[in-house]
Amino acid sequence: MSRKLKPWHIVLIVVAIVVVALAGYTVSGYNGLVEQRQSVEQAESDIQSNLQRRADLIPNLVNTVKGYASHEESIMEEISAARAALVGADNTGDQLAANDQMTSALNRLLAIAENYPDLKANTNFIQLQDELAGTENRINQARRAYNEAVKNYNTKIQRFPTNLIAGIFDFDAYDYFEASEGAQEVPSVNFE
Amino acid sequence: MNTLRRMVRGLAACSILLAMLAGSSLTAGAQEAYEPTAQFFVNDFAGVISDDAERRMVETGQALQQQTGAQIVAVTVPSLDGQSVEDYAIDLANDWGIGQESEDNGVLLLIAVEERQLRIEVGLGLEGALPDGKTGRIMDTYMVPSLREDDFSAGMLEGYLAVAAQVYAEYGIDASELAGYEALGNTAGSSAQSTITRSTLAKLSPIAVFVILVLVLGIRQRRRGFFPFFWFGGHGPHGGSGSNDDNPFGGFGGGGFGGGGGFSGGGGSFGGGGGSRGF
Repeated sequence: MSRKLKPWHIVLIVVAIVVVALAGYTVSGYNGLVEQRQSVEQAESDIQSNLQRRADLIPNLVNTVKGYASHEESIMEEISAARAALVGADNTGDQLAANDQMTSALNRLLAIAENYPDLKANTNFIQLQDELAGTENRINQARRAYNEAVKNYNTKIQRFPTNLIAGIFDFDAYDYFEASEGAQEVPSVNFE
Repeated sequence: MNTLRRMVRGLAACSILLAMLAGSSLTAGAQEAYEPTAQFFVNDFAGVISDDAERRMVETGQALQQQTGAQIVAVTVPSLDGQSVEDYAIDLANDWGIGQESEDNGVLLLIAVEERQLRIEVGLGLEGALPDGKTGRIMDTYMVPSLREDDFSAGMLEGYLAVAAQVYAEYGIDASELAGYEALGNTAGSSAQSTITRSTLAKLSPIAVFVILVLVLGIRQRRRGFFPFFWFGGHGPHGGSGSNDDNPFGGFGGGGFGGGGGFSGGGGSFGGGGGSRGF
């Protein structure tokens, strides 16, 4: 402390502090972005696994219905076509579109089932309906979680000062998966 | 003097910069209309559940959590405020963190009185014990018939007990008091007292075990047992005992872990499993 600090020493110290703070902030900002991008991707894979789960349930349902209402062929074909489109789609957006198509076909199937009291009372059919409704809800919830994660991530990469870090390290915005009109409705099971 | 002033000015500039950076990363927290009541296991916001049914559910819920770590929470709301029962239920269940974080073993039973909607929301860890088809059967068998006749107490209680029986079965515990829960009334209300089974311990994270050990060792002198996440003295949750004079960890029981009433959510997650019914 005997030696007097020169002004440029002070400047140097201040600059060093600022540089260290900025570096630290950049690292934590970058890691934060990586984490958020990871949660977006995790949410997307959750959607996909739930879509797959739903596709797996369809053949069971179709077989059960066939046992009681074998002549309702057109609706069965429609469901099978939608399922094939779902399984064949190669990105989440297309899969979700096919899924929405399948939902509307399934809703029509459930309406048709109203005409078959034996089918309606079949415990296997009731259980399949519950599982389908549950899977549909999981897809909706996974889609909500995805959109929420995308919103947080997209906001972060656009907001100062993280947008600077995002720009340097090429963090691109993700698209939302909007549910199509009417597909939001979870087929509800009602026993009158 | 001059250098000192400059130094101060430089530091001030730095701290302003840091404050700006810190401030920019603050995010607004999500708001939730309902907070868990002190009862935690039963939250009758619509005011449609009788005291008897409520007491029975709270007892069952405490005993279940004690033996398995799982949490079953019953909630009634006057209205869903325009949301679907599915969205409402999962948001509430995740916000409250029903079930243990490591196990995701929570269940929410939600009744919306105005919309006449019912939902059983099953935590990710219990989807095997309570698949969608089974929750549907539980609702059809035990809940919907009573709810149709506006008997919310019976509907909720029977559903609660039916779900509890399934969770006990999942953990391989023979819950004899729930064996005939359809026939309400012939049960002996005495639930097993606080014994932490090895399987429960094994399921807790090592950190939790460490915390328990520290707490247990630290307060060995206390007459009653002490459990950091919830409090079992055989007489229900009571936040007051946290203020015992000789207890060096007084704050933990009352507020730290217990959240006032002694029970609170453990951070369990939900993925949309379960089922819904109109009634």
